[in-house]
Amino acid sequence: MSNGVVENLINELTKLPGIGRKTAQRLSFFIMGIPEDEALSIANAIIEIKKKARFCRQCFNITEEEICSICRSSQRNKNTICVVEEPSNLIVIENTKIYNGLYHVLLGALSPIDGVTPERLKINELVERVKSGDISEVIIATNPNTKGETTAQYLSQILKPLGVKITRIAYGLPIGGDIEFADEVTLSKSIEGRNEM
Amino acid sequence: MLTRTEGIVLKTQKYGEADLIVTYLTSDRGIIKAFAQSPRKTRSRFGSSLEPLTHAKISLWGKEQATLPKITQSDIINSFHQIREDFHDFISISKLVEMLMVLIPESIPNKKLFTFLLNILQTIKESEQSSKDALHLITRIRLLATIGYAPRLKGCGRCGGKGLNFYPASGTILCNKCAVPFVAGQSYFKISSNTIHFYTHSIEWPIHISNRLKPRQEVLAELSTLLDRHLTYLLSKKLHSSEFHSGISGNQEYKSRTT
Repeated sequence: MSNGVVENLINELTKLPGIGRKTAQRLSFFIMGIPEDEALSIANAIIEIKKKARFCRQCFNITEEEICSICRSSQRNKNTICVVEEPSNLIVIENTKIYNGLYHVLLGALSPIDGVTPERLKINELVERVKSGDISEVIIATNPNTKGETTAQYLSQILKPLGVKITRIAYGLPIGGDIEFADEVTLSKSIEGRNEM
Repeated sequence: MLTRTEGIVLKTQKYGEADLIVTYLTSDRGIIKAFAQSPRKTRSRFGSSLEPLTHAKISLWGKEQATLPKITQSDIINSFHQIREDFHDFISISKLVEMLMVLIPESIPNKKLFTFLLNILQTIKESEQSSKDALHLITRIRLLATIGYAPRLKGCGRCGGKGLNFYPASGTILCNKCAVPFVAGQSYFKISSNTIHFYTHSIEWPIHISNRLKPRQEVLAELSTLLDRHLTYLLSKKLHSSEFHSGISGNQEYKSRTT
């Protein structure tokens, strides 16, 4: 590629996760093909997020204010905290419209082999919230994989002695799936966690 | 080309939106990395078969020498989920897995190592909680012995004489006579004769009867520190999982709540 500005954009786009050189080339040519105002709108959105977005001081959700709208809301149940790994997990749970409590985003999950220790996550901040607030239940909604499970167990061990109820989101089969294709661990967990009808 | 093999998942790494790069210890190809498409989606056909420590039959698609073949199928033989679900077991086994990954080069077939890890996972799964601390230490010692990196604690490494000072830079105990001319000024670590006895038995006794070894806590602590220092010298860095373990053990909040 001989053109300097195009090459520059390709190089910049390859810095994004999951974007290789080919995809970056495709995106660059797409951006060249769209009207100028649309391209500027994309560029402005990137600048805006860097200038305005920050983590909520209480729950570490992404917000434009110091405290996010969920933590500020008087309509939310302030006695329950749902602990998630990433802000994207919070958005999915909010979409269910079933949960009306507060959140706490850890910004990652524990991983001994990668050196992700409790100090690198927002765990101390969670402990302080539980100690200082009127929290009666902590729902641990970390991912149902090894890192998420390790994190859940650690949280359970340090939060239980504080006298709060600790719950873990249920394991089981996805709706619309077929038992025939479920693996033994998922199926055994769903049998263990069965509900009376 | 489609190839089939058996593997134990050592580590997974997120890639792209929902993909994973899985590191396996395989029965016939040594440590390999493979690519799995969309296993993080809830309806993925892979289910939990790509979770760390899972022993599975896998099918790989790619050229014979491909650096990142694609996983087309993965059927669980033994999930070892009991180890993953026990916080302390998982942290301890993570040390062993990290040691494997940093000490063994990729794509070198080693059937003995595969069988070794499988036996260890089975033994840990079936062990009683009370013998787990010693067992995890024994597994790390035996791994080092299997791959030729074990420290020498049976007498002085130069003359075979008696000694209790371990020199990480030499990987052995040296008696006072030998230490002076060869390693003058180097740091050493004084160990007890009980630690040496336990270490020797750990290597010599078959793994399935190693739960008969009942070392004192001081012996476990001493040997654990020795191994950490030996590995730190070998690798010129501390293992992530060792740092994690020290961090957790040193965390006053955690200690006060779990004891």
